[in-house]
Amino acid sequence: MGKAKCAWFDFTSCEGCQIEMTNFGEPFLELLEHVQPVEFREAMSEKAEEIDVAFIEGSFSREADRARLEDIRKRAKIVVAYGACATSGGINALKNHQDREDYKEFVYGKDKDMPHLDTQEAKPISAAIKVDYEIRGCPISRDDFVNVVSQLLHGTEKVYIPSYPVCVECKLRETVCQYDQGGHCLGQIARAGCGAPCPADGIPCEACRGLIDHPNLEASVKVLKEKGKLPARWAESKARMFTANLLPDAKAD
Amino acid sequence: MPTYHLSETELSSWVNAIMATQPVIGPVAKKSRFVFDRLEDSADLRLDYDTTILPPKKAFFPPKQDLLHFDASGVRGAIKPESKVLFGVHPYDIKAIHMLDVLFAEGHPDHAYLANREATTIIGSSVQNHYQHAFFGTASPSVPVQGHDAFLTKIPDGYTLDILSEKGRKLIEGQNFKPASAEQTAASEKVNEDAKANCPEKLTYTSEEIKAKLKASWDSPLWEEASQDCFSCGSCNTTCSTCYCFDVQDTWNIDQKSGKRYRRWDACMTTEFAEVSVQGGTENFRETKAARYRHRMMRKAAYLNDKLGGPACVGCGRCSGACTADIANPVNFIDKLMKS
Repeated sequence: MGKAKCAWFDFTSCEGCQIEMTNFGEPFLELLEHVQPVEFREAMSEKAEEIDVAFIEGSFSREADRARLEDIRKRAKIVVAYGACATSGGINALKNHQDREDYKEFVYGKDKDMPHLDTQEAKPISAAIKVDYEIRGCPISRDDFVNVVSQLLHGTEKVYIPSYPVCVECKLRETVCQYDQGGHCLGQIARAGCGAPCPADGIPCEACRGLIDHPNLEASVKVLKEKGKLPARWAESKARMFTANLLPDAKAD
Repeated sequence: MPTYHLSETELSSWVNAIMATQPVIGPVAKKSRFVFDRLEDSADLRLDYDTTILPPKKAFFPPKQDLLHFDASGVRGAIKPESKVLFGVHPYDIKAIHMLDVLFAEGHPDHAYLANREATTIIGSSVQNHYQHAFFGTASPSVPVQGHDAFLTKIPDGYTLDILSEKGRKLIEGQNFKPASAEQTAASEKVNEDAKANCPEKLTYTSEEIKAKLKASWDSPLWEEASQDCFSCGSCNTTCSTCYCFDVQDTWNIDQKSGKRYRRWDACMTTEFAEVSVQGGTENFRETKAARYRHRMMRKAAYLNDKLGGPACVGCGRCSGACTADIANPVNFIDKLMKS
């Protein structure tokens, strides 16, 4: 098995998933035995003509970025979108539900009309180019990243990513349910694979890895209202934090 | 087999004596709930627990368990049975464990399960407090409480301890417990009968009636109706004391040269459970919530009855409490079904 030429790219994001990789520590260095970074803006200035695996972070939120994405797609054999922004639009897509002039003024003040600040709805990378694999989460989890990369390195055709919800992982680690403590949670409709660290630390799941394939949204709103004691408006928009583009009222196509 | 009487002090010094020789797994508090966990201190043991989040089967059938480790030099089994004592198991969970013993031993015996189970000594405990959804007094009444090694009952002046097997007898070697008096034995019998009678929830039909009705209700509109709010989250499965399905996955270690095969508890209420590879893609043979809901009820109250001598539900009530949509409660569903 030769080293895979890998490149990292970032679009609209906090670059937190790249930071998270450096947090992996020693194990990540071990992976470098099998991976040769050929392009990584944060760490090197070289450009690569040929890329085995391109990892793309961030959402597609400016039409001007399309050409850059298409260029990456042309150079890369495999494209992996990683992190919530790249796979669903992530937190950036919250703005899709707000008035454009309003948020531009709020964020940029008097500079709001500068041309490079003109953005569209935040969309996943797959809205611009073909994405072969996705690593979800805000930020991504180490085990998930290593698992997907391992499967790619070994040439697995279909990478296994759980489609069951976070409740499964909470139960398997015997976390006291948020609803047993008078709280609320999106674990029933949120896609697992993270190992459910947040509820174990007492933090409700916000579905940062997106939703399961057939989320029961009506039941979720009902339970958030009746058991979670959330006001109706909040219960109805609760799942939007990371999944604005995955809900029936999504604004990005 | 003999019955002894233990004072509160004798009990804790006995637990300490066992802890000195092998791990003891017992109920301990976790926030507002209880869990079976390895005791660090005998004072942490909470025999007054109502029920635990996960059933005690996890002591020998862990939620996630390595089966094999492999590298270039070969494959090695990862099951390393360790002698341990599972302390304070309620009667309904003892029944459930015996059901798993039967199911894992039949056909192709599951050696990973059986080896860890064999290394475990089980000490039962009377129910001092009921879980709000418990209905064990009326669930699978024809199935005896069996397969454990000793049983401890809280009575007004201490505990009675029934020794039920050679494994159980070995645990009290060197202890100087007095035989229980006839009054103490009678008191403990009453405690255990009362615990059954005082369950907060009750089935009002026999297992046979329920099974017959279920089998006649395959096309009932109730399945659709009852599963309307189902999240397919599998919490009714993952907290069930008699569920035994698992998924097996192989993963590479980060060195990309070695790896492992592990299993984890699976849940037939999740959508991917019944997804199988077929030529040209995948097929899901229980695609709807209603079909999965029906399957679970059939598995618990109809399909396994002959094999187990009664329904594969012991009335612990964990599913009812774990279901955030409030649709999993077997007592409520069976009531509705029987009246339909």
